[in-house]
Amino acid sequence: MTSDRLYKHILGVLALSFVLFSCEDVINPQLEEAQPVLVIDAWLNNAPGAQQIKLMRSQPYFENVLPPGVSGAVVTVTDEKGKVYSFTETEPGIYEWSPFGNEVFGEVGLTYELFVREGAETFISTSRMGRTTAVDSITFFLQPGGQFLDDQYQAEFWSTDPEGAGDAYWIKTFKNGKQLIKPSEIITAYDAGFSKGGNFNGVPFIAPIRRAINPFDEAEDGTFKSPYVVGDSVYVQIQSVTEASFNFLNQVSIQTNRPGGFSELFATPLANVSTNIENTNSKGAKVVGFFNVGALSGLGRKFKSLDELSTN
Amino acid sequence: MAAPLLVQGQQKFTVSGYVKDAANGEALIGSTIYIKSLSTGVTTNVYGFYSLTLQSGNYDIDISYIGFASQSKALELKENTRIDIELQGEGKQLQEVIVTSTKDQEGVNALEMSTNRLDMKTILKIPAFLGEADVIKSLLQLPGVSTVGEGASGFNVRGGSVGQNLILLDEATVYNSSHLLGFFSVFNPDAVKDTKLYKGAIPAQFGGRIASLLDVRMKEGNNKDYEVNGGIGTIFSRAAVEGPLFKGDGSFIVAGRRSYADVLARPFVDVLQDGGALNFYDLTGKANYNINKRNRIFVSGYAGRDKFFFDKNQGFSWGNNTGTIRWNKIFSDRLFANFSGIFSRYDYSLQFGENDRDNFAWKSSIRNITFKPSFSYFANADNEISFGAELNYYSFEPANAYGTSNGNRIDISLPEKYNLESALYFGNSQRLSSKVSVEYGLRFSYFVGLGPGTQYTYNDTIPGIRRTAIGEQIFASGKVSSTYQNLEPRLSMKAELSDRSSLKASYTRMAQYLHLISNTTASNPLDVWTPSSNNIKPELGDQWALGYFRNFGKDQAYEFSAEAYYRKTQNQLDYIDGADLLINEFLEGDLLIGQGRAYGMEFYLQKKVGRFTGWVAYTVARTELKVNGINRNEWYAARFDQTHNVKVSGFYDLNKRWSVSANFNFVSGTPSTFPTSRYVMQGILIPYNAADSRNNVRLPAYHRLDVSFRLEGKTLKRNGNPRNHSDYWVFGVYNVYARKNPFSIYFTQGSERVAQGSPINSEARQLSIIGTIVPSVSYNFKF
Repeated sequence: MTSDRLYKHILGVLALSFVLFSCEDVINPQLEEAQPVLVIDAWLNNAPGAQQIKLMRSQPYFENVLPPGVSGAVVTVTDEKGKVYSFTETEPGIYEWSPFGNEVFGEVGLTYELFVREGAETFISTSRMGRTTAVDSITFFLQPGGQFLDDQYQAEFWSTDPEGAGDAYWIKTFKNGKQLIKPSEIITAYDAGFSKGGNFNGVPFIAPIRRAINPFDEAEDGTFKSPYVVGDSVYVQIQSVTEASFNFLNQVSIQTNRPGGFSELFATPLANVSTNIENTNSKGAKVVGFFNVGALSGLGRKFKSLDELSTN
Repeated sequence: MAAPLLVQGQQKFTVSGYVKDAANGEALIGSTIYIKSLSTGVTTNVYGFYSLTLQSGNYDIDISYIGFASQSKALELKENTRIDIELQGEGKQLQEVIVTSTKDQEGVNALEMSTNRLDMKTILKIPAFLGEADVIKSLLQLPGVSTVGEGASGFNVRGGSVGQNLILLDEATVYNSSHLLGFFSVFNPDAVKDTKLYKGAIPAQFGGRIASLLDVRMKEGNNKDYEVNGGIGTIFSRAAVEGPLFKGDGSFIVAGRRSYADVLARPFVDVLQDGGALNFYDLTGKANYNINKRNRIFVSGYAGRDKFFFDKNQGFSWGNNTGTIRWNKIFSDRLFANFSGIFSRYDYSLQFGENDRDNFAWKSSIRNITFKPSFSYFANADNEISFGAELNYYSFEPANAYGTSNGNRIDISLPEKYNLESALYFGNSQRLSSKVSVEYGLRFSYFVGLGPGTQYTYNDTIPGIRRTAIGEQIFASGKVSSTYQNLEPRLSMKAELSDRSSLKASYTRMAQYLHLISNTTASNPLDVWTPSSNNIKPELGDQWALGYFRNFGKDQAYEFSAEAYYRKTQNQLDYIDGADLLINEFLEGDLLIGQGRAYGMEFYLQKKVGRFTGWVAYTVARTELKVNGINRNEWYAARFDQTHNVKVSGFYDLNKRWSVSANFNFVSGTPSTFPTSRYVMQGILIPYNAADSRNNVRLPAYHRLDVSFRLEGKTLKRNGNPRNHSDYWVFGVYNVYARKNPFSIYFTQGSERVAQGSPINSEARQLSIIGTIVPSVSYNFKF
């Protein structure tokens, strides 16, 4: 069980009692200066169409602009059978592979090697494409409101982890075509549960995962909007990830999902998330980022009318 | 007595007995029995017993205890003599002037150092958060004691972590000392008699934690009169009943507290209505019986629980239960023994899921059964020998848990673990001359892991990467899986420089076999205690301390001490980034092992008598850790490292009915890790520290002033007769000038939704757990 997730679950209740006394302010502390490092964002999948790898530089923490792209690099991915996928720069820092005809990127079970040459340095990584599992259905249900919450319509996806332990997934949600990508919306699963130790193998995803596809946005008056209303559409995508990527995503969630308030009592220290990309020269420039090759599945549904609500 | 005339001059006899409070028969721990003509004396032990062996002859003995009127007795010692003494509290003396014994100088004269005793009177005076007098929060006013912030449970002593404090309630281990995260402690002030914190120089009798010992002793109960104490406060309502048993040969006390957060919250929080709960309570009880002059038994227990439930299926709870049975036996006037049988258990449970098809439930516990015989042999006026043993049997239940997913139930329990921790100890407190005393001791501790169980071996640590199990070994029930043993020497000495000043030094080695697994800023109720194993070596701590103690002023009203310490620790635990500490069979693969060092100076100036009393404590200190895989493998400051820590507590009697108390705290900023840079991966903004640092920045300083006023109820009725009950009000203000003290500064992307291809905003937020002024009022009564 991921400790982080549990604490956040619990703190919801506790916060009630002391929320009166605590307060939070946005501040502007002085930060240490640092040299930019190379960032490689290489998450590839077997969806039809082009695949992208982004090369950027890190920025000072408070520099709220798009990260600068890194041009002029050589980027290729090679599978274990020797097939080479060449990525060519289409925009500064964006390297793309385009398929011929019906060709898709990758094959479940094969291992891929990433090769990036930037200036005089070479960066490599490997990733194996694991299997994914189908999204069987999506349902909507009513979460009755109370004094503080209005009635809410929530979505739930139904999918079963296949037999055999060791599958890991990144579950992405798209509401009305837009990906839900706040730090609190990173959903990962190890088999059908939250973590490797959970041992939820070969069963439907556990309820907190099935229902994690609901966005909780605040309305103007500070209340939470219903995650979905009639007319909305939801698309759920399950992407297989390696165990290293699963650990990475969990680290990212811990480091970026900071709801503040009492959860800070149980926050872990800020630490750099891992990377599976290395400089072939161990004394060379630093690199951060991750390389994952995953298989995709997905299903969408439009919330057409309240008649569709399932009984909870 | 038929002593031959020849040796009459050398004949030795023993005077022994108990020292008690005349008002209620409570044993007075640490009262002084002093023979002026010989400049020698002893103090009573934790049961109020003393024994002093002297040449036959005539003596004047002075018996004194802080806050009580001293007594002198003429003693003609010509045979072994039992003298039980009852001292009158100063309050009962009305207008009489109290003559303080010239030897009533605990700090200077006592051999012990690095200790602080807080009596309940003082604890009740210290202005408290929401007006709830609190044993552990009061400790934070002492030098060398700190916390990571408001709401954090436990406390840190001389650079030790929260899990390195041994907290004993009538000898039973208290595994989690907090209610409501860390806002309140589990000890009910109505039931506590005495609180003593050992920050170093811990006697050989105690072991098992490497930083400190907090020894909390419960009241025995009034053996003369029935007494009811109670109070109505902002958080708790309290009631305690005590009184005599067996016609005064025994006594009892039962004390309970319950919070009414749920009662207050109910109108606002409708989620609580269906089987929901939001409360915490504790019940403390003790009884004792004097079988005869040489045998006395005590039974005491504690049960406390915090409950937070949305409804009957969802929520969590945690609690401690302890029980102690003790038998005091005086074998002879010089040999005092106590046999304790102790039980302690800490457990928590967590469950959620609204229906039977999808839910999750998890229970975890640690429990121990202990047998502890201990002996004091009062060899002569110069030697007090203590020896004994301790046998602990532990069982750990890390997870008794299952989850159900769409009707499929899966058991995710982890196996229980069993351990035996035993110790033998010996110590002697010896007076070498009228000026110099030493206490030396040795503790031998032995720790065994018992089957059934599985031991894993892991690959070597690669910084930042979770280690994986590469081998396993299964042990059958009762088979020994791993053993550790340690010799723990203890040494302290005192040299009196003058009547009013002394120099003390000590060395203490402690071993710790149980580890509190916690990687969060504050310790929390779900933290798991885990035993040493083939992968987790016992933590070891060595501490050296040097102190100077001095009394001065009229009536020696002021006490000053300065202590320097250096502490070195081995086998400290830290955690890989993203460590999974809960319900993880391979938890040990997520641990990192390191070492620690801490050093500092503590200054303490106290005014003990007069209308104005109080103290100033200043600590300057450093606590650092060095762990492979963290901070480039270099030393870094621990999260609770505080360079400067100043505490001022003052109490002033305005008139007969009004008194005022104030606290001021100043703590220089604690360390935190700030990023230098940011990068974006898959649409998420990730903070990055280019130097791979831990705790590279200091938060702003923390300071706070609290004030409380106490109004004593009238002592006389309208018709001039005394009232048969007493009461008082406390009006308190916490954080008087409403400072927003930072608990943490954290970094996050903005909470708004960012369209693809747009830049993501990053920001830093400063959180104050208590960012406002908090008033409180409580009413307390006694009859």
